[in-house]
Amino acid sequence: MIGIRLKFTKGSEVKYISHLDLMRVFQRALRRASIPISYSSGFNPHQEISFAAPLSLGVTSNAEYVDLKLTEPMDVREIRRRLNNSLPEGIRILAGIEMGGNHKSAMSVVSHSRYSIEIYIENLSYCELKSKIEAFTAQKDIRIMKKQPKKGFELKETDIKPLIVSMKLAGSKEGKHTIDCLLLSGSRGNLKPELLMEAFKEFTGYDIQKIKINREQVYAEKNGKLVDLLEYEGFQA
Amino acid sequence: MKYDNIKEYIYEELLSKVEKPGRYIGTEWNSVHKNPEEVDIRFAFCFPDVYEVGMSHLGMKILYHLLNNQKDIFCERVFAPWPDMEEEMRKSGIKLFGLESRDFIDSFDFVGFTLQYEMSYTNIVNMLDLAGIPLRSGERNEGHPFIVAGGPCAFNPEPLYDIIDFFMLGEGEEQLLEVMEHYRRWKSSRGTRDEFLKTAASVRGVYVPKYYSVEYNKDLTIKEIKAICEDIPAKIRKRVIKNLKGSYFPDKIVVPFIDIVHDRIMLEIFRGCTRGCRFCQAGMIYRPVREREIEELVEIADKLIESSGYEEISLSSLSTGDFSNLNELVKRLVSKYQSSRIGLSFPSLRIDSFSLKLIREVQKVRKSGLTFAPEAGTQRMRNVINKGVDEEDLINSVGAAFDTGYSKVKLYFMIGLPTETMEDIQGIAGLAFKVVDRYYQVPKEKRGKGLNVTVSASSFVPKPFTPFQWEPQDSIDTLMDKQRYLQKAIKKKQITFNWHDPYVSYMEAVFARGDRKLCDVLIKAWELGCKFDGWDQYFNFNAWMQAFKETGVDLDFYAARRRELDEILPWDHIDVGVTKKYLRSEYKKSLKGELTRDCRAACTGCGINLLQEGGVCK
Repeated sequence: MIGIRLKFTKGSEVKYISHLDLMRVFQRALRRASIPISYSSGFNPHQEISFAAPLSLGVTSNAEYVDLKLTEPMDVREIRRRLNNSLPEGIRILAGIEMGGNHKSAMSVVSHSRYSIEIYIENLSYCELKSKIEAFTAQKDIRIMKKQPKKGFELKETDIKPLIVSMKLAGSKEGKHTIDCLLLSGSRGNLKPELLMEAFKEFTGYDIQKIKINREQVYAEKNGKLVDLLEYEGFQA
Repeated sequence: MKYDNIKEYIYEELLSKVEKPGRYIGTEWNSVHKNPEEVDIRFAFCFPDVYEVGMSHLGMKILYHLLNNQKDIFCERVFAPWPDMEEEMRKSGIKLFGLESRDFIDSFDFVGFTLQYEMSYTNIVNMLDLAGIPLRSGERNEGHPFIVAGGPCAFNPEPLYDIIDFFMLGEGEEQLLEVMEHYRRWKSSRGTRDEFLKTAASVRGVYVPKYYSVEYNKDLTIKEIKAICEDIPAKIRKRVIKNLKGSYFPDKIVVPFIDIVHDRIMLEIFRGCTRGCRFCQAGMIYRPVREREIEELVEIADKLIESSGYEEISLSSLSTGDFSNLNELVKRLVSKYQSSRIGLSFPSLRIDSFSLKLIREVQKVRKSGLTFAPEAGTQRMRNVINKGVDEEDLINSVGAAFDTGYSKVKLYFMIGLPTETMEDIQGIAGLAFKVVDRYYQVPKEKRGKGLNVTVSASSFVPKPFTPFQWEPQDSIDTLMDKQRYLQKAIKKKQITFNWHDPYVSYMEAVFARGDRKLCDVLIKAWELGCKFDGWDQYFNFNAWMQAFKETGVDLDFYAARRRELDEILPWDHIDVGVTKKYLRSEYKKSLKGELTRDCRAACTGCGINLLQEGGVCK
């Protein structure tokens, strides 16, 4: 069995489709592109594909990852070319690698995500917002009420401070501000950027409009360093 | 707001607020996008229900691509926005827009509705209002689009007579393009609305209600329906495609992002049905039977699989088991697609024509549930409705399915059929029990696990152009009694029992055989907040009652009245090919429990062969 990892975008055109929808999009694109995808055995065989880290509805990304299992070898560049002809607008395969037999799944190695968050706040200067962000992140803890999907969406108080690695104001222009943040992602701790902004909204009382979130990068930890998921398993093709 | 334009506002702001934004994206795979500047005709194809339902509809897929194949026409899809979306749109003054361009449809040339069921009519009114288009035909002027409608419910167009500018009766592929051709000429001549409607009315199948007058008797029945101008046909004849061979079928279909009701390729293998079940409107209005050839079907399937990436093909028709060479077709498709794991499904198999061999063929790929439609519980009742199957047929085919490892079957029945007694209701339970018993006859090690028999009992709604068009519907109380009785009689842990809301069925019966007076009721009901009436959570019976009260229209006149056989019916000026004389004779036979044979064997004289010059049967 051949393992392939692909890095792709989820652009504005497809930001409203859910994780499950995205799965279907890939399943059908793989068929249209005649990629020799492998099927699981069992009563209802399904294609062997899995994604790294789900995105919330409305969030775009420059760095999504999918792992595929193929039944026969195919050049990664050929896979990329074929899929890009078969995927809807907004999803573009950027790069990919063929992985060795013993690789870990993308989902299991994800540790961090970097987001760029664009917001509108009227009449607020760069310096003002910058110091507010610094005050926000300097708190001892940042407690929010988090919904627990597995417990009937019961609310539970959580401290998100340990999940924020960094949060910085990257720039301001005519009421539009861009915030960069690095957050924990994956099974060992996960913070959705929308939740971070909710906490920030509550802390500041700002009237924040038109929040646009883009995932810039997804990382895995390798030898104490944060690396692209493609580098984690080898070299980019 | 800091958006550059309305389209961006809709996409970024509105869609971020609604529950399922995937319904309104419009950039699905194979969706067609054209530059509005480069086309002459813009057509909004409207399905008056939510996206997931509308996108499952084959007719829309066909006509969408048919229109877009015309270089100068840009056809876009529009579905009824779900109430959360509607609220956001109304709050911010966003009018109903085409999914592809996000342009408001009030500036389009045509707004076309497909009428699939009566309980979507309030959504039509709501969509027109949301589009900012006057609700009544007479209130529209040269700056408004033409409102057109087609589909099965258009065969009794009268309840919508004042809302829709013109109807297209029968199959749309040819007449739609003919109407478009008239429109091209009219548009360049800059004529009046009336001038266009007059020429449109010359196309066979087109009905312009305002060119017909209706007079009533004192007892509110109809005295006369007639054309008010000389150059307008007295009777409107439905359109049929004479031969499916080579007739249009799209080679690509829109693949939705979100999960829809029927998310698969629908391969239409034939049109029409020869069985003549007396309750079935589709069986009468879609006559005659015309099959597509196997070679062509395989070719179409090939193209659709390649262009869509779908993993399932459904062989679609009114009675798939009746296809002349179904075994051959299934064999060809299975051998071709088995290795690429593409499944086959049959939405409408009759139990008598369902062979074990066929089940085995399909099973090579994947096992889905099986559906059977005995329709009634006793032989007497099945004879009345001319459902020519018996208990042995059912048990044999269900048995064959159980023997090959199936353990989930659905059984469809109707309650409230003409002449029905409690004995017939009891018969439904009896039949379900026999199905359960048949499962346990399969040796334990051979049978599939977890038997589940779903019994679905819908309430009978008498429809126009059927032998039961003169019959009253059971009252709500009677239907509920029958449902309760059946629910008790059928209690068993392997059986799941489903039924329909009798209040909805009652309203459906009113509109199915309604006349022009219902148009005011409809608009009143919409004013009182009615919409999405087919959805339990939105159906508001009290509001409907209020609407009838305020307009002074009696519901039972339409739903619960037995009509005289010589009464002029509201749809008598529509010619579907099957004659009133034939329907009368079928009605009389039904009351005697006499069967009428399948007309594939020999003609039963329904009249469809005289619909068109040169005949259409075979």
